[in-house]
Amino acid sequence: MTTVNIMDCVFIYRTATYSEKLHLLQGDKKNHVSAQSVSLCGRVMFSGGGIEKRGISKAVNKRSSSRRSSSSSTGSGSTSGSSSGSGSSSGSSSESGRSNNSGSSSGSGSGSGSGSTPLGSPPHVQMASHESLNSESKSSSLNSKLGHESAGSPSAGSPSPPKSVCSSSSTSTDQHHHHQLAHVLNATSKLTVREGTRTLRPDEPTLVPGEHMEGTAREVTYLCPYTGPKKGTLSVTNYRLYFRSPETDPPFELEVPLGVVSRIEKVGGANTSRGENSYGIEIFCKDIRNLRFAHKQENHSRRMVTEKLLQYAFPASHKLPFFAFEYCEQYPENGWTVYEPIAELKRQGLPNESWRITRINEDYELCETYPAVWAVPAAASDTDLRNVAAFRSRGRIPVLSWIHPESQATITRCAQPLVGVSGKRSRDDEAYIQHIMDANAQSHKIFIMDARPSVNAVANKARGGGYESEDAYQNAEVQFLDIHNIHVMRESLRKLQEVCYPHIDNAHWLSNLEATHWLDHIRCVLSGALRIADKVESHKTSVVVHCSDGWDRTAQLTALAMLMLDGYYRTIPGFAVLIEKEWLSFGHKFAQRIGHGDDRHQDEDRSPVFLQFVDCVCQVMKQFPHAFQFTEDLLITVLDHLYSCLFGTFLYNSERERMEKEVKTKTVSLWSLILSNPSDFENPLYNPATRHHVLFPLTSMRHLCLWDKYYCRWNPSMRPQVQDDVFFFFS
Amino acid sequence: MHSYRRSTRPSSFKTYVDIVEFEERPVDVPEEVDNGKVEPNLLPGEIKIAEANNVLKFAPLKTNKTGISGTLFVTNFKVSFVTSLPVDSKEAELHERSLQSHYLGVHDVCLSEVDLVYQISEGSSKKKRLLYNAPLPARVSGLQLVLKNLRVINFSFKFTPAGEDVRIGQALLHHAFPPSIDHLFLSCGHPSPFTGIPEFCLAQDWEKELQRTRCPNWRVSKHNEFFNLCSSLPTVVVVPRDLLDAQLEQAAQHFQGTRPPVWCWGALGGAALVRMAQISPNISDKQQENRMMGLVHRCHPKKLQPTIIDLDQKLPSLKDVQISYIKLRELHTPDDPTQFWEQDRHYFSRWESSRWLSYVSKCLEVAQNAASSIAHHNSSVILQESEGRDMSAVISSLVQLLLDPQVRTLRGFHSLIQKEWVALGHSFCLRLGHTRNQPEEQSPVWLLFLDCVHQLSLQHHAALEFTSEYLLALWHASHCSLHSSFMFNSVNAKYSATAVLQRENPQQPVYLRPVWSWWAEDHDWLGGEQNGSSESVKGRRSAARDLFLNVHYIQNLMESLAVSGALGRLRDPVSSAHHTWHRIQYLLGDSGPLPYDPNAPLGPLHIDASLRVDVALSSLKPWHECFSGWISEPSVTINEIDSLSRQSTTTVQHWEHVRQIYYTIKSHLSETLTNGVAE
Repeated sequence: MTTVNIMDCVFIYRTATYSEKLHLLQGDKKNHVSAQSVSLCGRVMFSGGGIEKRGISKAVNKRSSSRRSSSSSTGSGSTSGSSSGSGSSSGSSSESGRSNNSGSSSGSGSGSGSGSTPLGSPPHVQMASHESLNSESKSSSLNSKLGHESAGSPSAGSPSPPKSVCSSSSTSTDQHHHHQLAHVLNATSKLTVREGTRTLRPDEPTLVPGEHMEGTAREVTYLCPYTGPKKGTLSVTNYRLYFRSPETDPPFELEVPLGVVSRIEKVGGANTSRGENSYGIEIFCKDIRNLRFAHKQENHSRRMVTEKLLQYAFPASHKLPFFAFEYCEQYPENGWTVYEPIAELKRQGLPNESWRITRINEDYELCETYPAVWAVPAAASDTDLRNVAAFRSRGRIPVLSWIHPESQATITRCAQPLVGVSGKRSRDDEAYIQHIMDANAQSHKIFIMDARPSVNAVANKARGGGYESEDAYQNAEVQFLDIHNIHVMRESLRKLQEVCYPHIDNAHWLSNLEATHWLDHIRCVLSGALRIADKVESHKTSVVVHCSDGWDRTAQLTALAMLMLDGYYRTIPGFAVLIEKEWLSFGHKFAQRIGHGDDRHQDEDRSPVFLQFVDCVCQVMKQFPHAFQFTEDLLITVLDHLYSCLFGTFLYNSERERMEKEVKTKTVSLWSLILSNPSDFENPLYNPATRHHVLFPLTSMRHLCLWDKYYCRWNPSMRPQVQDDVFFFFS
Repeated sequence: MHSYRRSTRPSSFKTYVDIVEFEERPVDVPEEVDNGKVEPNLLPGEIKIAEANNVLKFAPLKTNKTGISGTLFVTNFKVSFVTSLPVDSKEAELHERSLQSHYLGVHDVCLSEVDLVYQISEGSSKKKRLLYNAPLPARVSGLQLVLKNLRVINFSFKFTPAGEDVRIGQALLHHAFPPSIDHLFLSCGHPSPFTGIPEFCLAQDWEKELQRTRCPNWRVSKHNEFFNLCSSLPTVVVVPRDLLDAQLEQAAQHFQGTRPPVWCWGALGGAALVRMAQISPNISDKQQENRMMGLVHRCHPKKLQPTIIDLDQKLPSLKDVQISYIKLRELHTPDDPTQFWEQDRHYFSRWESSRWLSYVSKCLEVAQNAASSIAHHNSSVILQESEGRDMSAVISSLVQLLLDPQVRTLRGFHSLIQKEWVALGHSFCLRLGHTRNQPEEQSPVWLLFLDCVHQLSLQHHAALEFTSEYLLALWHASHCSLHSSFMFNSVNAKYSATAVLQRENPQQPVYLRPVWSWWAEDHDWLGGEQNGSSESVKGRRSAARDLFLNVHYIQNLMESLAVSGALGRLRDPVSSAHHTWHRIQYLLGDSGPLPYDPNAPLGPLHIDASLRVDVALSSLKPWHECFSGWISEPSVTINEIDSLSRQSTTTVQHWEHVRQIYYTIKSHLSETLTNGVAE
């Protein structure tokens, strides 16, 4: 079932516009229905080849598209293409032009008769994360075509085969789009001029508001691991690195937000390097890829580039602000308002007779890593809470995450109890757990899910931690979920990176993949979450979840279990709420785990815990393709901006720190981008009726698969070929 | 604002009988209502052979924990479990999407589906393989059937009256492994409906194919009329135009299996696809081989050198394929949850060490190269293989799928299989082990091919008119003895088996039904309440149909109508839009049960778009639906029914959308028609 890659082939058909089209069609008496019928017919958009590049670029290019009266949004695209003026059609065709440039490579390659390389990798596209080649742009390429057709342009032959309607790779339209690209690039640079930053040359990137150029080096060679070296211009801004090579047609472009950079190393000394391209820098990224640039020694450009890169990639180490504080894009939606703790608790039916909402932590004094607002058992007084906090690691007491609307079974989260070697007990803590159990009348039992392997839980006693003994906590059953710690996960990802990037050893692909144990860990997290969901849903029993500190594995488990249990979290705003609530407000240490702006790449606190969670979401999504309102694109966008530091959302370690730094007022929220462009992330297969269902995913290895659209996205050979699968020839 | 979940939950309709509890509290056990004697549903000519009462049937991996009780029968066609208790939802779903659901009930298993039989006993993990010729013990406490489609079924005879268990076991072993193919239940006494799929046994079928492909310089030879030339080829074959029948006869003697080279496909440019056996090992003289290659060379209008591909060298041997399959069978038929999770930990490396995917990759690669020779260099391709009946069928079929858009339609695919596999003599009986003879010759080449097509459909969602579910249904169907397409070693073998059956029972006409007849069938052969009313049968069939036809493909067809003016041309009979509209009407079931027009010829070959496959191993995916489709994951959640169904409903919405568009265009058409009349 997982192999049915239904997700890859997305059927865009908007029922909202359906009746409108129906009306048009039926009202038409003269059969002149070509344009309408085009938009009437559902469009296939192959979200394959391009999603991976959506991420970072999206926000960047968004500015220009939003300025152009948001014509690129798919929802209005098909109609605005014909109705609104030329400005809008150039807007949508800008992206189509770009998408063509990158997507068509193999189409044109085979068109010229190079049949001997059936798998020939596209010569210039593989790293072009800048190009905003995403499904949205593909559909807008269709829209732009629609516009042309209705305007009577002869560009596209009318009896075109179905493929050319939906794919943008047919050779005939290619040329056409090239021209458009040039046109549009000019247009965008004019826009930038008007904004008064500075005049842009074509080899410089379009800047986002707040971004400025820091330096440019010419005659730099990018050593692409797939398509060989390319010579061009390397620019550094306060937000990103941008490389452009005019050697290929269309020009090769590469851009990396500096937040993604994990480490920068100089390669080859001034005296020692011999041979071509041996002198330069290597950039290690947090998103799997590594980049290598060769400089000419005589140009003396390396020093400037390295300095600028170090400065802007690691602002925290240089006492500089994150770029998020300079980014000043305006979005129609304000993402900072998506999560209101009280509103979310009210949605769950709180307060009620057994649960109350408390502001005891308003000043973050009782627990500095917890949010200001908690939901706790009504039976527990504030004094009880203080006493319990003393017995839980870092004061992270059991607080409500989710309550079952019917059975009142709950998921609560906390840190480990401070049992220690001597086996300390706390009557208050025991009573508190009892209160949680009593709040659910359906069951006379409570499960305490310790995310750790039992060995680790025992070992923690030596450090003053530990786990609840079933003797002390009556009616409680402790289960260990066997999820390993952050160090194991980091190592696993490192191995995975070796296997995926840059080249894949095909002969041993599956066994190499298995040896990384990445999917093993995914399986553990998923089956742990499944077990929690099962206890709550099928057994109507409340579950307390903790690990050591309750901010890594605990967040993974509660968030995933909630995603399975409550369809609200499978909608776009709901998913934002889930991340804001379970991850951000409950103090997953994003700054530490990601190392935002920090140059200590070997920091032991870094770990891909959140990435793992997103991977798990994607696994569930693949098993239930119609149960999520959003697509993989959203997940990839979230991950890209987890590193990019363009938005304030993931900065800092806790709600308290974010309050202190005034993140909400001084930066833009990632959810502003997402909620302002929901149609880019909507899953056309989504069936809203699934919202009231519980998802129990299969968690055996055979039903998991590597999320290659994320991990292998830089490798051109791993791209789904759907888009450019048809090559034309005459025999 | 919204309610959280369904107010009523479907009651769990699995019935679990715990044996231990059964012994302690026999009263609580949900037993069948005793409504007299139960009987299996029999087809005309089917005979009940053995019967055992109070048999418990266990779902896979639920050994000795949960089961349902009923009566087990062995007939000369199937193993039939009859119970009034409700069916496991997964089994029911898989049954509904099979092509033999109108011959077999949900608990029935065709005898030729049985691969291995084990004797199992409760409380012990040991199991003993039972062979057809070995004596049975005095008491059989349980049987495990491993089917060729990797399904495992356990029966316990714990409460069965003594003697019945052994009789069932004997009947099963005797009839599931017959000494010759005519012992199988091959005819259900009903003629096959017209499907429009040529059998490639008549000269006109091949002539049409030559015309369709417009490949010049080849002719149809009827020299094999009495299978005198070669018993594994059909009576008519296509050979070079310059080759005289006498020369053909002479040449045939030099090749293995006396199989002369035959044409199977070609292109307008003159490139032909030829299947050729190797020279017999005891003939050192290569003269005939060279002469044949020279003739293929001369057939080419531009006299281009043919490309010769030695499949014996480039592809895995039959033995390799079988070994690989057995490894996968072990991996996918665990006995208990412990073994399941143990295997699961090393699932990926065990897939890799089975080498199955690397074989798939090799087949696709060779096919891709051959296709590229034909398409880009206009060069004929000769596929050379020992007898030219196994891997050459795989490669030849794949090449055509890659190059010929017609073959990617359901009808074209059926014709392809009929031509390359059935008519040109793939030894289905031997390779799939339908009889007890020559087990060492078994090798699931056919499955290897289906997996290759599956990978193709994964990489090109909209390229094929049918889905992977259909490929899987074909694999399952190839073990059912009523599907004559996959039962015989050759056309000749089919004729002889028919003759034997007819001789044995002169009153009863013998009707062999090709598997394609499923599409043309509009009613069920099995009566009885378990199949429900004819309405539900219809609903079930149309659900299966939606599952087998590729909605993305249909959508693409619709989109081709979305070009300027196409809608206006829909009623113009010579326009391509009209043709497309005609096809869509068939595909959406508006023009009868078949999804194509059986009377219209298969469209002419236009090589305009060729598929490319990524053959890198990392791009190929294990075919889970095929290999682990029957296994339910032993998870913490027992009540799996509550969970949202994973797969089957995903395309439902998409189908709805496509139908909506269809009806919109249709009503638009009828409206313009009435308007036209009014004017």
